[in-house]
Amino acid sequence: MAKKLGKKARKFAHKHLQGGAKRSRKLRSQFNRRTRKDGKGREEEVDGDEEMRRGDSTMNTNDDVATLANYLEFPEDENELDGDLSESDGYLSEDPECLYYSDSEDGNVLEDCIAEDDLDEQNNDMNLAIKKQKKKLKKLLDKDPEFANFLEKWQSELVSHGSKEDSDEEDEMDSMHDGVDSGDRNPPNDKILTSKTISEWCQLVSKEPKTPVLRNLLNAFRDACRFGVNSNSLSMQRLQSTEVFYQIISFVLAEADNILRALLDISDDDKGKIMNLRHGNKWQAIEPLIKSYLWNSLDLLSQLTDNQMLTFVVTQLRPSAVFFSAYPSTSGKLLKILIRLWASGDQNLSLSSFLMIRELASLLPDCLDLCLTKAYNAYLASSKLVDNRNIKHIELFMNCLVELYSLDVHKSSERVVTSVGQLSAILRQASKTKEKEDLLKIDNWQYINCLNLWVRFICVNYKDCDLRTLLPTVVQIIRGVAHLLPGIRYLPLRLKLAQMLNELSNCNQMFFPVPSLIFGCLEFREISQKEQTQKTKIHFSSLLKVPRNLLKSRYFQEQCILSAIDVLSAHFAQWSYHVSFPEVATIPLILLKRLHEQTPIESLHRPLKRLIDQVSENRDFVQRKREVVSFSPNDQSAVESFLQDEKISGNASFTQFYASVSKNSQTRGRKLL
Amino acid sequence: MGGKKKNKVIPAPPLPPEVDDDEVLVSDEDVDFVEENRDHIHLITGIDKNSLNEVVNKLAAAREEDKLERLYEERERKRKAAEALKPRNDDDLEVDRVDALPVKTLQGELVYKTAKRVRSEDKDNGVESKSEDNGADPKQRFQKERKGRSNKKEDGKMQHVQPPVKVAKEKLHTVVLEEVKEELSAEELFEKKKAKLAEIGMAMLEDPESNIRSLNDLLIMCNDADQKVVKLGLMSLLAVFRDIIPSYRIRQLTEKELAVEVSKEVKKTRYYEYTLIRSYKAYLQKLISLEKQPYFYHVAVRCMCSLLDAAPHFNFRESLLASVIKNLSSSNNVARKLCCEAIRSLFRTEGKHRGEATIEAVRLIAAHVKLNDCQLHPDSIEVCLSLKFDEDLGKDESKQERVKPKKNKRYQNRDVTKPSDKKKIRKELLSKAREEVHADLRAVSFTLDPKERKMIQRETLSALFETYFRILKHSLSTSNSRYKATSVSPGGSHPLLAPCLEGLGKFSHLIDLDFMSELITCLKKLSGYTDQQDEISQDNGLSVSERLQCCIVAFKVWRSNLEALNVDLQDFFVQLYNLILEYRPDRDNGEVLADALKTLLWEGKQQDMLRAAAFIKRLATFALSFGSAEAIAALITLKHLLQKNSKCRNMLENDAGGGSLSSLVAKYEPEAKDPYLSGALASVLWELSLLQKHHDKTVSAMASNILSMANLHATQNPVQLSSANPLEAYNELSVLQELSKPANKVSSLKCRRKRRAKEFVALSPDVLEKADCSLSDGELKEKLRSHFAVLRGISKNERLRIDLNHTLSSINLYKEYKRLKKQSKKIEDW
Repeated sequence: MAKKLGKKARKFAHKHLQGGAKRSRKLRSQFNRRTRKDGKGREEEVDGDEEMRRGDSTMNTNDDVATLANYLEFPEDENELDGDLSESDGYLSEDPECLYYSDSEDGNVLEDCIAEDDLDEQNNDMNLAIKKQKKKLKKLLDKDPEFANFLEKWQSELVSHGSKEDSDEEDEMDSMHDGVDSGDRNPPNDKILTSKTISEWCQLVSKEPKTPVLRNLLNAFRDACRFGVNSNSLSMQRLQSTEVFYQIISFVLAEADNILRALLDISDDDKGKIMNLRHGNKWQAIEPLIKSYLWNSLDLLSQLTDNQMLTFVVTQLRPSAVFFSAYPSTSGKLLKILIRLWASGDQNLSLSSFLMIRELASLLPDCLDLCLTKAYNAYLASSKLVDNRNIKHIELFMNCLVELYSLDVHKSSERVVTSVGQLSAILRQASKTKEKEDLLKIDNWQYINCLNLWVRFICVNYKDCDLRTLLPTVVQIIRGVAHLLPGIRYLPLRLKLAQMLNELSNCNQMFFPVPSLIFGCLEFREISQKEQTQKTKIHFSSLLKVPRNLLKSRYFQEQCILSAIDVLSAHFAQWSYHVSFPEVATIPLILLKRLHEQTPIESLHRPLKRLIDQVSENRDFVQRKREVVSFSPNDQSAVESFLQDEKISGNASFTQFYASVSKNSQTRGRKLL
Repeated sequence: MGGKKKNKVIPAPPLPPEVDDDEVLVSDEDVDFVEENRDHIHLITGIDKNSLNEVVNKLAAAREEDKLERLYEERERKRKAAEALKPRNDDDLEVDRVDALPVKTLQGELVYKTAKRVRSEDKDNGVESKSEDNGADPKQRFQKERKGRSNKKEDGKMQHVQPPVKVAKEKLHTVVLEEVKEELSAEELFEKKKAKLAEIGMAMLEDPESNIRSLNDLLIMCNDADQKVVKLGLMSLLAVFRDIIPSYRIRQLTEKELAVEVSKEVKKTRYYEYTLIRSYKAYLQKLISLEKQPYFYHVAVRCMCSLLDAAPHFNFRESLLASVIKNLSSSNNVARKLCCEAIRSLFRTEGKHRGEATIEAVRLIAAHVKLNDCQLHPDSIEVCLSLKFDEDLGKDESKQERVKPKKNKRYQNRDVTKPSDKKKIRKELLSKAREEVHADLRAVSFTLDPKERKMIQRETLSALFETYFRILKHSLSTSNSRYKATSVSPGGSHPLLAPCLEGLGKFSHLIDLDFMSELITCLKKLSGYTDQQDEISQDNGLSVSERLQCCIVAFKVWRSNLEALNVDLQDFFVQLYNLILEYRPDRDNGEVLADALKTLLWEGKQQDMLRAAAFIKRLATFALSFGSAEAIAALITLKHLLQKNSKCRNMLENDAGGGSLSSLVAKYEPEAKDPYLSGALASVLWELSLLQKHHDKTVSAMASNILSMANLHATQNPVQLSSANPLEAYNELSVLQELSKPANKVSSLKCRRKRRAKEFVALSPDVLEKADCSLSDGELKEKLRSHFAVLRGISKNERLRIDLNHTLSSINLYKEYKRLKKQSKKIEDW
């Protein structure tokens, strides 16, 4: 269905709304790129950005690791699915309707049919033209009555021909609805639905769910959902006003779940109960209604194009997840749509569709595999390119994915292990050959984001699961990446790796020598004399490798050192109550002091001084405290309990300092975004 | 340099007077042509001055460009020939084998003629075949020459005549070619040439004796216009030479020998050898000239390296060596690698050339370094690491001779250049004869007597250390003036320092004791040590790795000389103590640090207690801030120190009031510059408790192991975890090493626990809250309305369009209808 509307809308827009289409394309170019990538894969890389070409080159090399490196994606066996998705991607991406919404918002609301001006005008023009031509035809007919006969004959031929063409599409569409159409319904009526009827029905249904009006209402819902799919279909005739359209859709979406539950006498999400019910008589009676509701909602989802609307519908559908779970194949379809929406890039839509995915996945373990694969691949596809705009989305995607993978660790562990194994294999290959091509497989966002994903996954699940076998591999990968990509230019990458280590350290209480990764940051002495005139547009956190021309720029060094301060503070905060904190701080402190003395960037003096003061203070504090204890370093339990009270109370100045630092860095990040 | 050589050349050729005269004239003319200002040459050859001047004038008048070129070429060739002759003479002086051999004292008229022909043919571009003159009477030959002289004005022409023959031949050739051109494409031509090359090559390899003349043909091929053919020609010549070069050096025949009649076989052999050496020389000249062309650079270098590898004993080794050594510091990676490998193999297979080439090579390297002011590629020094010295020899020598190598050299030079006393000469002659016999014997057996071998090695060593010390001095003199910031980039402007230090470390046992103190002082300065304790300059221009290497070398030198040296190495400990803090994982070489720890601390005997304590504390702190490989190296050293200095074990325990041992400083100063003033003995090794939590199991196990020492008696040692030294441990744990190990398979993770639907782990609650905000009714209505409107608009538009199209086509159909109607009408009418 989506396909159909998509095609039509596209064709239409292409023919008649060139300007609008162009505009919308421009607006959504970023969005397009991403969606197209995830759907159609790598065949269609007209975008030509570097990341993609890089991917291509890795594709072409045919050794084992290279094939592993194919974007680290999990294989998806359903080809049909891919095709389907890619079609709908096209639909989404060249969607001209988004624009109408935005236009209509400030247009007059009074008019019932406030389509876009262009369209209206065109329609009017066409009306005029038709009148003119009709007149002409009439004249001709008047002149030569025999022509009428000829014309009739020709028309009948045309119709029979056309219907043949159409029938294929009709079939396809109808087959989907066979379940609903057959048996439990009279041939579709073509009565025009008026606002009044609908509100009557609504009232009736809310009072007494069991009324047969419910069927009518659901039929109306069906028509509303299929509205516009076929220009001369019944629904076009039945729905004449926006008011009616709105009434039907908002009411059904809001109430259907409750009504159906009331009919089935269930209140909670207990899946077992529904499965039991499935064989009961009650279910048999109500099943068509449920099916109709679910399928038509699916139609609606695939038709809508506005992100907010989609968010709304998905949110409304979420309580009904339990009904979906009764129909695995429908759920599969829904999941595909949802994953596409999830990857679409709109924060709210992503979130709400993710919640729905998660709901479904937890209800339907069979779907979990599909979700894990699809979502992981979507994540990889969208994380190829990181820039100012999508940092937040990628963060969200990653968190969502971690949620999804943490649902059933036993089930997802296989995938996690495979993926980590792939990362490791790529790294080994690179370290073996040290060739540029292999190094590029590490030096990209996809690799780093993937690594970050599993780091987060480990952090989240470390307490509950036995991940001790996975951890060393991940740590090794982090160390290996840092080692294979040395130099000041990779400082942003190093800072990210250091953050990962901090995260890991935080969750498993192991000691990681984080400072060794970022000592490079603390060695800046020179900045270029000529200040960059044009303010660099590049956001620091969207970089892995610093462009050469920025290397000595004030901006880059400032950002580097500020990030280094964040990372170091996190590291210090982690061990600020440990008995050996003074020693942990010794070497970094020396370097920080040196930097503070020598840096030519004034704006850094304050944060550096602050960190130095805080660390020194905490060092003195721990030193004072440990002077009075009597245990020795080999007394592990005593070492563990050292300053535990203070740690729990969290009043130490350094803890507070760290809280303020992390808050600052967050606001800084937000400001830059 | 040309002038000097010429002076030597003139008296050098041992030729009979007539011909000598003739020869001199010709060569002098050439010399004069190039260096007209050098009047003294005319004075020497004053006899023919007039005619000569005449000739010169005429020549100058009739000078044409190509003539000039040819003359230049000829002069070059002559000079080269003279050069080539010179070593042979030297050879004669040194080991006059032939004189001692009874077989070779025979008659020599004819032989002399061949020798003469060498020169004349040299002039003749080597095109003329020698066979035609083979049996020719010397008189005839001479007259020919005479004619040439009397017609001096046509000398240029005469030379012209011969090339024209060639040119004519070529022309003929080209004519023929042109005829066949239609049939032969350039490719086929190339194929033909290739085939010819292969043919000649095969013939040469099959029977070099009789086909020796084909070498010339091959050489001619190397002048081909097609660069590919030239390359192939060079390669095939290389293959041929590699195969046919004899295992002895071919010597210039003396006058005496030439004067004696020889048998036919000897003649043949002499001719063979003579042709071989002449072609070889021409080949080398070709290579050396082609080396300058970028297109042939690789081929030329490859050929020279291969030749050097195959025939280091053969004639013209000097020029080969000079070229190869020059290319040691080539910026071209491939060429440099080839040269390095060639020189290394030269060093390794000393048996082939009895060490003579080795010393020549080392001297050339030394000269090269000197010439370029130490700004060369590190590889040019690194090859010296492959040198092999007899350990005993070095020691004997150092005990026997207390003379500095440099002086040594000077003495020798004096010996050679001052053969003043007549008695001495007589004595020498006597001993010479004896030596000659010895030399012949040796030449046969290819062994060196130990004395000579020692001599050669000593010479090599002195040249080598001269180079090393030059580099050290150079680093020292420039390091002070270098800019601070450059210290960040390792090896910046001292490219040779690292391999030099490595070499010093390797050959430390061979260094003369007299140099020792100077060397140590030098190293101390290089390592960045200054006398002002409070202001140790961190930036003496050398990188941390280089400075650490200086410390290592100093200790190696000290230790390999039986530690008998009365040198205070304390300063190097101080230096290491400070350098540990300067270490940066990616900038500096961790291996060097581990090596320094191993050499200075791990291998050492009992340390001073204060110093040991300071190092223990610093290493523990160091282990907290750096990666696992560095940490394990530090911990192993630390453990070793604790084992050797049992008193320091107090640091493992937290006694009331800190360290129980009295020390100068009561409070620990983590940033102290001087280990003695750090007060580390008063500190407690708290670091180890945190290192127990280290993510790397090896490190955490080692930390626990060390901590367990606290409970043991001073003489007891904990269970040995591994016997690796710091360097081995470092390499074992380094990332690259770990990555090269097979990946440990991670089995599926064990976790049976499932999460409930409402339990969120990664998403923060405030993010989740956002998800639930739904649209307001108004907004929803608005959105739905526009959605509806658009859909309706589209469908309406579509309907209208169909209608319009329909009407239009109906109108269009009218024409069709008319046509049909007409037709039907016609049919009806008909």
